[in-house]
Amino acid sequence: MAKFLQRLQSPSGERPGAAWWAFVVIASLILALLPQTLGLAQLLDLSVVLVLALLALSMSFLWGYIGILSFGQTAFFGTGGYVYAVAAMNFDSTTLPFLLGIVLPMLLAAVLGYFMVYGKLSDIYFSVMTLVITLIMNKAMRATSGSQYVVGDVRLNGQNGIPGVPPLQVPWNPEVTLFIDHVYYLAAALLILVYIGLRLLLTTSFGRVMIGIRENEQRIELLGYDARRYKLLAFILSGALAGLSGTMFAIWGNFVAPEMFGLDRAAEVIIWVIVGGKATLIGPIVGVGIIQYLTSWLGMQGVGQVTLVLGVILIVFVLAFKDGLVPTLGNLLLRLVGADPESRIKKGSDLEKGSDL
Amino acid sequence: MKDVAGTTLIETRQLVKSFGGVRATDTVDFILKEGELRCLIGPNGAGKSTFFKLLTGQIAPTSGNILFDGDDVTGLSSFEIARQGIGIKNQKPDVFDGLSARENLWLAAQFDTDKKTADRRVERVVDELKLGAFVHKLVGELAHGQRQWVEIGMVMARSPRLILLDEPSAGMDQEERVRTAELLKALNTTTTIVVVEHDMQFIKRIADVVTVFHRGKILREAHVDVVLRDPEVRNVYLGRTEVV
Repeated sequence: MAKFLQRLQSPSGERPGAAWWAFVVIASLILALLPQTLGLAQLLDLSVVLVLALLALSMSFLWGYIGILSFGQTAFFGTGGYVYAVAAMNFDSTTLPFLLGIVLPMLLAAVLGYFMVYGKLSDIYFSVMTLVITLIMNKAMRATSGSQYVVGDVRLNGQNGIPGVPPLQVPWNPEVTLFIDHVYYLAAALLILVYIGLRLLLTTSFGRVMIGIRENEQRIELLGYDARRYKLLAFILSGALAGLSGTMFAIWGNFVAPEMFGLDRAAEVIIWVIVGGKATLIGPIVGVGIIQYLTSWLGMQGVGQVTLVLGVILIVFVLAFKDGLVPTLGNLLLRLVGADPESRIKKGSDLEKGSDL
Repeated sequence: MKDVAGTTLIETRQLVKSFGGVRATDTVDFILKEGELRCLIGPNGAGKSTFFKLLTGQIAPTSGNILFDGDDVTGLSSFEIARQGIGIKNQKPDVFDGLSARENLWLAAQFDTDKKTADRRVERVVDELKLGAFVHKLVGELAHGQRQWVEIGMVMARSPRLILLDEPSAGMDQEERVRTAELLKALNTTTTIVVVEHDMQFIKRIADVVTVFHRGKILREAHVDVVLRDPEVRNVYLGRTEVV
């Protein structure tokens, strides 16, 4: 058991071992079999967790891998959702809108990232700037309630959002559209693929340099790497992931609204990542699950100040579980089975430092 | 590679770096020939580390020029200068604490080559520096001296034309210092080296020509024996006779 757990925490730059692949297969099987035991309402709830987990990964990838805290991943999330909604309502097919929902946020990230990275914004200003961008977009979308704000045949509708976003069609058979369970399977498959892809990225030269930047940007530059290029590429990739999440969110809910760009959502992403553990890939996914469940449960209990409760949770985690839930529990588990947790995820290390998860 | 009468590898012309009203580097004219192993000495605050930072693009000069192999590299970024062939070990260990020693070396080795060549470079450095005992450990957990070795290894793995070492023997015990001195002499057969050091025994072991910095300027530049007997040098830097 100890050996298995330690293998799960092999060095980040190394190829994931058999234990990690076994974990992926088991998790995939569980996700594949869950719909057999859940009702439609539960499946709908679980689907949005998977969709939002993509958004959480877009942030933790940027923050945990390369050390950039982007407070405004919702700018790309919202853009992805709106692009899909508007394009799908204008076009006959949803395949191109789906792709545009990823590509346009990616291009937005490329333009914004270029000015921020090559403009040599310091880390804190980068965070502030991304937050400002998403708030501006939120404000801008709220101001589109007039009848003049039309894209093709679609009114943007200001703060009321756009209802009736078309469901995704099967590309090779447009007559067939995805139902709730299909959306669940698609979201699960995308999440697993993104999870595997991001983990394997670490084994590439690009991934290792990203970790190097996170660890010591000056040293990376002194070795001859142009850190700005790597930061920009990482930012573009994270923008694409957030766009994918936004697109799936629009498909899941058949609705987009300016809240997708809003401060509440932007703050939630931070909470997910911090609670789960920003330096792991599985952490943010767990974080989304816990917070979404808690939010829903608190709502059902009639607690009016859910945001306040979430704020308290964030403070508790920042103070008591600095590394987040997954690394903390991982270490605890290793100690329980008598193994010494690898120092990579010991307390005080703010990074996954190689946890395979 | 002791052909110090050869081509000029690096040269500074009237190089100035001011911080507010203080000139940390003051109109420095410095010439280093290919194949030299030069030591820079001087009291704390003399401007040696600032000079290294200027040469490697970590800070931009206020005025003056830096020429590397005849090309003006003034104002280039750190990564651009590194690509020209200058490697540096900074005063404090400047490594990737959260990665293993091997991963540190690999990041340095893989910059301009394929994975296989990078692996070979790493193995070579591990053998030459005898890092095998701790190569899989996290650098953040290593002793100061070991961290210094890893950083020196990272510089070596890049095979630069010019290596700048800021206090390479700091924090090392006597045995490690002797080993470091031998390593530098061996390295100097293929690479030009500049070393900032305070340990006079170490300097005498490795250097022929020594450049003395004082208050941002070059005070003297001569053979180590001459410099260490210079009354003004002893006055401003050594301050005590027994050091020599």
